[in-house]
Formats: sequence, C-alpha cells, structure tokens
Amino acid sequence: MNEHPVTLHVMDDLRRSRLTVFFRYLLYIPHGIWLELWGIVVLVVAVLNWLVALVIGRPAAPFQRFIAAYLRYWTTVYAFLMLVANPFPGFTGEPGSYPVELVVPTTPEKQNRLKTFFRMFLLLPTVVVLYVVLIPAMLICYPLLSFAWWAAMITGRMPRGFRDLGANAIRYTAQVGAYALLVTGTYPCSSPYVGMVLGTPVVAETKTAVEAPAAAAEVPAAAEEPAAPEAPEAPSET
Amino acid sequence: MTKSSRRLLGLLIFGALAVAWVYAASRLWQTSVPSNLKLPKVDMRALVGSGELHRAEHFSLVLDLFGLAGLFLPLVVLALYATWGHRFMRESAAGPIGTGMLLAMLGIAILWMAMLPSSIGELWWLRRYGVVKYGYAEMVIGTWAALGAEFLGICLIILIVMGFARLLGKHWWLAGAPVFVGIALLVTFVQPYMAGLQPVEGHATLVQAEKRLAKKEGVGNIPLKEENVSSLTTAPNAEAMGLGPSRRIGLWSTILDGRFSEPQLEVVVAHELAHHKHNDLWKGIGWYALFVFPIAYLIARVTRRRGGMAVPLAVPLFLFAWVGLATITLPIDNAFSRRLEAEADWTALQTTRDPQAAKALFVNFVQTTNEDPNPPFWDPLLFGSHPTEEQRIGMVEAWQARSGG
Repeated sequence: MNEHPVTLHVMDDLRRSRLTVFFRYLLYIPHGIWLELWGIVVLVVAVLNWLVALVIGRPAAPFQRFIAAYLRYWTTVYAFLMLVANPFPGFTGEPGSYPVELVVPTTPEKQNRLKTFFRMFLLLPTVVVLYVVLIPAMLICYPLLSFAWWAAMITGRMPRGFRDLGANAIRYTAQVGAYALLVTGTYPCSSPYVGMVLGTPVVAETKTAVEAPAAAAEVPAAAEEPAAPEAPEAPSET
Repeated sequence: MTKSSRRLLGLLIFGALAVAWVYAASRLWQTSVPSNLKLPKVDMRALVGSGELHRAEHFSLVLDLFGLAGLFLPLVVLALYATWGHRFMRESAAGPIGTGMLLAMLGIAILWMAMLPSSIGELWWLRRYGVVKYGYAEMVIGTWAALGAEFLGICLIILIVMGFARLLGKHWWLAGAPVFVGIALLVTFVQPYMAGLQPVEGHATLVQAEKRLAKKEGVGNIPLKEENVSSLTTAPNAEAMGLGPSRRIGLWSTILDGRFSEPQLEVVVAHELAHHKHNDLWKGIGWYALFVFPIAYLIARVTRRRGGMAVPLAVPLFLFAWVGLATITLPIDNAFSRRLEAEADWTALQTTRDPQAAKALFVNFVQTTNEDPNPPFWDPLLFGSHPTEEQRIGMVEAWQARSGG
C-alpha cells in the first residue's frame, strides 16, 4: 500500500559534500527568506482558496498550482537543510529538479464542503503526530550538532536510516501542509509506508505525475516497499 | 554607419565619459583645507614618550603584517577558486542564478576558512595589547554566524548581476552599477537605525556643546548618540552616519569612558559634525559611483571568457575580479578618505578654536589605540583611511601658526 495523492520521491544517493554540509545552515538562509516571503503570499492565497472551495466545492486551479509549487519548494529546502538530500535546491519549486521531490496534485479535486469548513479543526490530531515525527528528525538531522551532521562531515555520506527518518518527517509535514492548504482532501497518513517512494526517479515521470496525480501511485514494483532492506538506491550505494 | 565611423563615435563617447569622470573626481577631491598648507615636523617622542612610541610601532608593525595577509591572501584564495570553483556546480540542483548564488557563497565560505588562522593570529595580537575583549571561540562563532549576512549580501549581488546579464547580455553593467549605487545610498541612509544607537547619558555638557557646535557649523539639528561597544573593544571611535533625516553622530562608549576630557570630546564632535557639514557621506557615495561603473564594466569584460555573467560558470572569476579590482583601487580610496578626514579636522579646529584640546586628543589616540603615529609609507597607502596622528598634530600646529596662536 503506497497510495496517497501527496507522495515523496527520494532519489538521493546518500553522498554528501562536506563543504556544503559544514555551511548548510548558512546556505539555507537565502532559501529561508524566500520561503518566508512566498509563505506570506501562500497564506493569503490559502484563505481565498478556502473561500472558493466552500463556494464551488473544489479549490481554484491557479491557487492549487501556486500552492503545489510552494509545497514542492518547501520540500526541497527542508530536504537540503535536514541533510536528506545533497544538492542546493532551486528557488522555483519546479517539478523534476531535485532528488527529493514531492508529487502533489495540481488539478483540483472535489472536496466535501463540511470538511473544508472545519479543516483547521480536523488538523488538530496531526499536530500531535507532527511533534512525534519532527522532533526526533530535527534532533538527528538538523545541521551542526546532530548525529547526521557529524556522520556526513566525517564520512562524506548520510547514514541511510537518518536520511529516511528525515525524509519521513518531511513527507508527513508536506502531507499535513497539502491537507491544510486544500491541495488534497486526503488526510495525512502517519505511516512511513504511505506516500513515500524511495529510489524512484521522479524526473522521468514528472510531467505525467504532476498533471495526473493518480499516476504518482504507479511506481515501479521494486520501490513500493520503502521498508525493504535494500530498496534500489542510486548506483553509488550498491 | 561604417565600421570606422562607429569606432570614431565609440571613441568620442568614451572620451566624453572620461572627461566627465575626471571632472567629477576632481570636484570630489577638492577640500577646504588650504592647498598651500605645510605640515611641520612633529616630535612625537616628546609628545608621547619613547616607551609608548616604541610600543605603538611594535604593535602596528605586527598588525600591518596581519593586515597584509588579510589583503593578499583573499586574492590567492579567490584566484584558486576562480580556477577550480566551477567544480562545485555539481552540488547544485538550482537554475543558473541559484547555482551562481551557491558558487558565490561557497567562495566566501572557503575564503573564511582560509582566513581563519590569520584572523585568530590577529585576535591574539589585539588581545595581547588589550584592544579587544572577546575570546577566540566568540570570534570564530561570531564570524561564522556573520557569514550568514555576507551570504545574503552576495546572493543579492549575484541576483542583480546575473539577472541583468540574462536580460541585457554583456551590457548588464550599465543597469547593475546604478542599482549598486542605489543600494549604497539605502545602506548609508538606514545605517543609523540599525546601529543600536542610544542616547548619550552622563555627558550633559557635551550634549549641550554639540548643539552649540552644530549651530556654529550650520548643520542644523543632528542627534548625538552612543554606541555601546565596551564588551567588544577598548578602542575609542566616533562616526558620522546617515543622510538627510537619518543623520546622526555616534560616539563609541569607549570614547566616553573617562579617558578623554570634555574639550577633547568637543573636538571629536566638531570633527564628526564637519563630515555632515561637507556632505562627506554623499561624497563617499559619489566616489563609489565613480568607481563602480568602470569596475562593473571591467568585470563584465573579464568574465566574458567564461561565457559572461549570465552563466554560473563565471561566478568564481567574478569574485576574483571583484576583490582584485577593489584591492587595486584601495590606495586611491584611502587617499580620498584621508582628504575628507583632514578637512573634517581642519573644520573642527576652525569651529572649536582649541588647538590644545585637539593636540591632546590625537596624542591620546596614540596612547589608547597603540597605533603608530608615523607608520611606514605603505601603511597609509593600504590601510590609512585617516591621516596619521603625526599628520593630524602637524595640522594643528599649522593651524596655530596661521591663526597666530
């Protein structure tokens, strides 16, 4: 089982550049500022989108695309900050540009008006799970003093378990964000087996996946079980 | 239009611009200090004492060596980075501008690492003479954190340069240079609001004197403020800052700690007011504008061999060219700054008419900063934004001679 309209594809090869790991917090700063500025606009758009969804029963398509791009961008920035991926991300949230990518539906789906109206209250249980998922991930994956930071600095590689822990935190947070911002009506799933695909290049299937979210579920069979001991990773890991 | 007439037109435009440049530079270069002013030889040994003088010479010589390292090591590091830096492009999944930002930030990060031993050595020397108060760990962590601001600054510069280069191609410098001048204006304007200035407490006489001196210099109401730096350094300093409504005079808390008498502080305040009177901050921006155009043009020329500033491949070379050209223009920038400072000294003398206080102030500067009052010729050339203390005392004596004092 791997079906969730919001899916994280992790195509990272675990290699880490010591230089960018050492300065990762500082390299994050321009992205952090851009993320904040974009986030302010997203907040306004989200309120408008909520009103639209209440009236017509589904989010507005331009708002959906805008918020989806923001969520993709957010994912790449936090994947970079939490050492879940190595390269410096772009600033546009363009699909197919990063080894850790969120596939989100860009076409609005019909959503229950009652659930839309009470969306913020429905999100309350996810806050508890967010803490459970995020705190260990932050302790282990954040730069400077965490285990993962030291491991990457010493070995030039990210331990896979740490990477997957960070990726799962990002996946769940992105699903919460997507649900809160009405990108999807599907409730976030706390199971790490749902909505995360390890070792699957999203680049090749970007167009279809993004345009038709259902296609995102059509991942190669080998990658359907992220918990499998050695799901196919990038060549350098073998 | 034929090729030769185009060439002629180009030469004419270049000639006209060169004439305008020289005219503007000569206007900015002029000061109110009498051009025939001869500075007498000053016996610093008699004023400061040979022990203190020797200490200052020793302190300054070693500090200069660290200064030289700080000046030339970046050139070596960035030259190497210009050659090898493009390899870091593989660490980026961003577009051209994002990748350019990453390369620029990594260049600065590598520079920071390369400079760290020299910075630690310099700190050891400053601590030895009691000039700074913070420790090694504070310095390393502080400069590491300060890199964040530098990263932001360089990202903004890369965004402007590469953004215009992608829009205008090799002519990006024509649009980029005015934007940099605009940023310099903005930074100068907002600086007083960012400096954490506080009201001057416990110096009511000085605050009153500042009002009197401001009136005398005809600069209107300029607030006198204090900058608390006592936890960082013992070095005294003061600065004129801001433009128009943001104009302020900031006195470091270290100059108000009792080591300087009220008449000496009045000379300091009169000096800073003189900067505002002569519009020196505007002049500084004008001077920067004069240089930023040719420097941006030269950078555009140099980086063409790497495909121009539209591609990230050129960014490491951009850093090297930028720092290299800034180093080349450093002596002329310092000379310009020294002229403005000399004029402010002269105006302060005219305003306070207290040469004894001025002389005591400059002697006090030698004693409190440990700076060599008469350094070797290359020192002011490379590091001297102010006249040497010997020159400043010489000016006081020349002023006295002229005023019949």
